[in-house]
Amino acid sequence: MRSFSEGWARLRSAPALLVGVYAMTVVLALPLAITMRGLLQAHLGASLAAEGAANGVNYDWWQEFTSQATGLGTTFSPTIIGFAATLDNISSVLDGQRENAPIAGALALYLLAWTFLLGGIIDRYARQRPIRAAGFFAASGVHVFRLLRLAIVSGLVYWWLFAYVHPWLFLEWFADRTRTMSVERDVFFSRVVLYVLFGALLVVVNVIFDYAKIRIVVEDRRSALGALSAAIRFVWRQRGRVASLYALNGLAFLIVIAVWALVAPGARAGGAALWLGFLATQLYVLARLALKLQFLASETALFQSRLAHASYAATPVPAWPDSPSAELIRTSSR
Amino acid sequence: MAAIIGKIRPVPDRRVVLFLAAVFAVGAIGTRGQSVQTNDTPEPGARSPRNANYDIDVRLDHAARTLSGRQMIRWRNTSAKPTSELQFHLYWNAWRNADSTWLRERKMTRSYTAPPRDGWGAMDVSSVRLHEPSGSTRDLTSHMHFIAPDDGNALDRTVMAVPLGRSVEPNETIQVELAWTSTIPRPVARTGYVEDFYFIAQWFPKLGVLEDSGWNTHQFHAPTEFYADFGVYDVRITVPSPFIVGATGRRTARMDNSDGTTTYRYHEEDVHDFAWTASPDYIDLARTFTHPTLPPVEIRVLLQPEHRGQAERYFAATEAVLKRYGEWFGPYPYGHATVVDPAFQSQADGMEYPTFFTGRARYLPSRTRQTPEMTVAHETGHQWWYGMVGTNEFEHAWMDEGINTYLTARVVDEAFTDNRWELRYFGGHVPWSFPDIAFTRLDNDRMAGYRDNPEADVQATPTFRYWPSTASTMSYNKTALWLHTLERHLGWPVMQRIMATFFQRWAFKHPQPADFFRIVNEVSGQDLTWFFDQVYRSSNTFDYGVQDLVSERRDEGTYRTTVIVRRYGEATFPVDVLTTFADGHEITEKWNGIDRRAIYVYDRTSRAAHVQVDSRRVLLLDTAYTNNSRTLEPRSGDASLGWAARWMGWLQDLMVTYAFFL
Repeated sequence: MRSFSEGWARLRSAPALLVGVYAMTVVLALPLAITMRGLLQAHLGASLAAEGAANGVNYDWWQEFTSQATGLGTTFSPTIIGFAATLDNISSVLDGQRENAPIAGALALYLLAWTFLLGGIIDRYARQRPIRAAGFFAASGVHVFRLLRLAIVSGLVYWWLFAYVHPWLFLEWFADRTRTMSVERDVFFSRVVLYVLFGALLVVVNVIFDYAKIRIVVEDRRSALGALSAAIRFVWRQRGRVASLYALNGLAFLIVIAVWALVAPGARAGGAALWLGFLATQLYVLARLALKLQFLASETALFQSRLAHASYAATPVPAWPDSPSAELIRTSSR
Repeated sequence: MAAIIGKIRPVPDRRVVLFLAAVFAVGAIGTRGQSVQTNDTPEPGARSPRNANYDIDVRLDHAARTLSGRQMIRWRNTSAKPTSELQFHLYWNAWRNADSTWLRERKMTRSYTAPPRDGWGAMDVSSVRLHEPSGSTRDLTSHMHFIAPDDGNALDRTVMAVPLGRSVEPNETIQVELAWTSTIPRPVARTGYVEDFYFIAQWFPKLGVLEDSGWNTHQFHAPTEFYADFGVYDVRITVPSPFIVGATGRRTARMDNSDGTTTYRYHEEDVHDFAWTASPDYIDLARTFTHPTLPPVEIRVLLQPEHRGQAERYFAATEAVLKRYGEWFGPYPYGHATVVDPAFQSQADGMEYPTFFTGRARYLPSRTRQTPEMTVAHETGHQWWYGMVGTNEFEHAWMDEGINTYLTARVVDEAFTDNRWELRYFGGHVPWSFPDIAFTRLDNDRMAGYRDNPEADVQATPTFRYWPSTASTMSYNKTALWLHTLERHLGWPVMQRIMATFFQRWAFKHPQPADFFRIVNEVSGQDLTWFFDQVYRSSNTFDYGVQDLVSERRDEGTYRTTVIVRRYGEATFPVDVLTTFADGHEITEKWNGIDRRAIYVYDRTSRAAHVQVDSRRVLLLDTAYTNNSRTLEPRSGDASLGWAARWMGWLQDLMVTYAFFL
């Protein structure tokens, strides 16, 4: 609980990070949104169909558009409306659905951008003091290739989970076990069990790689594999605390999702209501990003509260940016 | 009004059982005796020719998943020519091997999955005996052989021919006795078993239809359903005693046997098929439909326990159709109907049999009215077209499926007003309803499906030759849309009279497409052959649009407005061209739609605002409706901005969801 609240404190003390990752999300989503707008506008042209579409839903036009759409245009479905978008996205991840190529490209770019920023983000949370933009980007630059190497390893693990474990669980085991069931409730609950099981696998992998990233940055580690191995040891030895913290953060995620389910805007109105809805969506995106940062900040806090002392720190480099641990040692030795 | 009554079948009194057993035995002797009629004209008051009558005894072996049956068929040659053979459908042989025509065609569809190892079905006829009028019997078993009249596929065993060794003259009646056993498949094509649930359809050797041109006995094809003559069915079904049984017809007897089984007897007249279901899990509910001018109908709903809360929706949808079809076309005459809520993964959902049909429900139901209402309404509606009119679904599936899709969309639109779109997530189990998106009558006409494949086939092509993966587009979607177009063109009162005339004139008579077209022309008082030539005899598509709209100020203070409308598609239809001016004035032109373009020029004191081709949306087959209008003050900028903003929210949500992996 202390790490959880400590995480929130660190998150609040560095609002620029939240603004930064939000800006990154907007910047990467915007070109595709502009492209999508172009597709929609071109299809509507000077048609009166635009009147209905501007004031709410003109589903007849919508279906006509999607029947002719290719590429990015095929993603324009009712699932983009309100809370359905969240359901759709979580469901598509858990069901292992492939994303449309332009979307997959945008996601890859987004994850790459995150990988670049991660070093600076964790560094900032670990230091617990302002490091300014130059310090942030310097830290990001120092760690980016280490984190990229780690990202390759994590990518391989996730790929294995989705390419082999997921189909085995959901297409083979699930299908084989449920194909003779005649009660949907039983089939559904079997699927829920699988979601929990597969979700647990994802969480375990996620937790280990989170701490590997933290160890790379906090301990100034160069070896991704070394950090991974150290993270496994840390997670195993601190499993109670790690799990509790993850559960608390997970609970916060569920609360955000539940609130969003209640307030997510529909699509009936145009004009000011549309833009109020857009604003609400942006606040929700901000909340989700804050949660992502809270995971990192609180996990960094937990790690530092358990292991961040001289014997676990990498050799301090006298020139800035030195490791947060080196800085801690130096500060405490004064 | 009627109430829902949860019924637990009482164990019959011992004396009643003995009485029923005696009646049963007498009945059985009667049907198996040798007193063969040679002239089997239907009794007075019969609704149909009753020339294919079946007495069937069938036993379900639950452990072995097999059926064993014996049936006596009393068949009268209603054609104008003699025949020297009989032809039977053995539908379940479609799943006997991977080379059946049904499976070959099914492989061409996107949704094909191979039957599981333990999923195959089969039907084996072990004996065919002809009962001669003299009282003797002739064993024809050694003469039976398989034929493939549609594609010559020697590995297809879905049609069996039996040479009789003599000719059967027109109007002569013969009796044939068959014995058979079947392996019940895993669920496929609305038949089979899953756990303790059985849905048994297309399950007995069934005669084809002898027409003047010969036997009409098509192989079982992936895109087709069935065709058979009307008759009287008397069927005795023996199942393990805990099973609850529902079937075509009215239950006339029940007998508990000493071996732990129970035999149910069902009887129905003037029907052309018989299907049944058995499961120990059903909740058995009943209600009586009443109406001031229509005969009462006992509705029995066999509900899955997990859908307990959806009983009212089943009854309401059934009653909505009984009422409206009854008022519009003619009453439902059988007095009873059994609606089955099939088990999950039984693949028995959404199917019709005489007086017996299936709905569709989900464990987590949505707030929309598509399921179960639309499905139940659709299958109830089939009782008029498939059930009573009895068209040939191998060749003209549109005459049942299309007509019924069009009309049940109308019923649902009237009876259930809060229809909304829904999508399902998490493996299709979790529904999400979109309150902002109405599920309209056009959606129930299945416009979206037609839009994807409008030229898939010429509708006049026999259904069994349609491309399998788009056959339903032609049979259901296109027909519903052109009938709805006709309704908007002629008006509902005329259309209602057309459908009522078609039903009343052709019930129990197997009409052909030309019979329907003739009635449309007759009742509407118009020769609509030009319309049928396009929608039925061609695969041309309709697409009208506005090519240009210009409104320019002239020196004398007036505006010259030029409207150019265009026919982009090959098919033609008369459409209106509505020009609206900035002062609210409207001018409507009637364009016959034949030329490629029409140009209208107006000199008015007001500038034009917008123009619309087919402004009342009569031509529903014009699926590219966006280009049907043009305005001088387009709002596509606002609309696209708003929707792109919403779409961006979805993309951002996706991005932060994927951020989990970092």
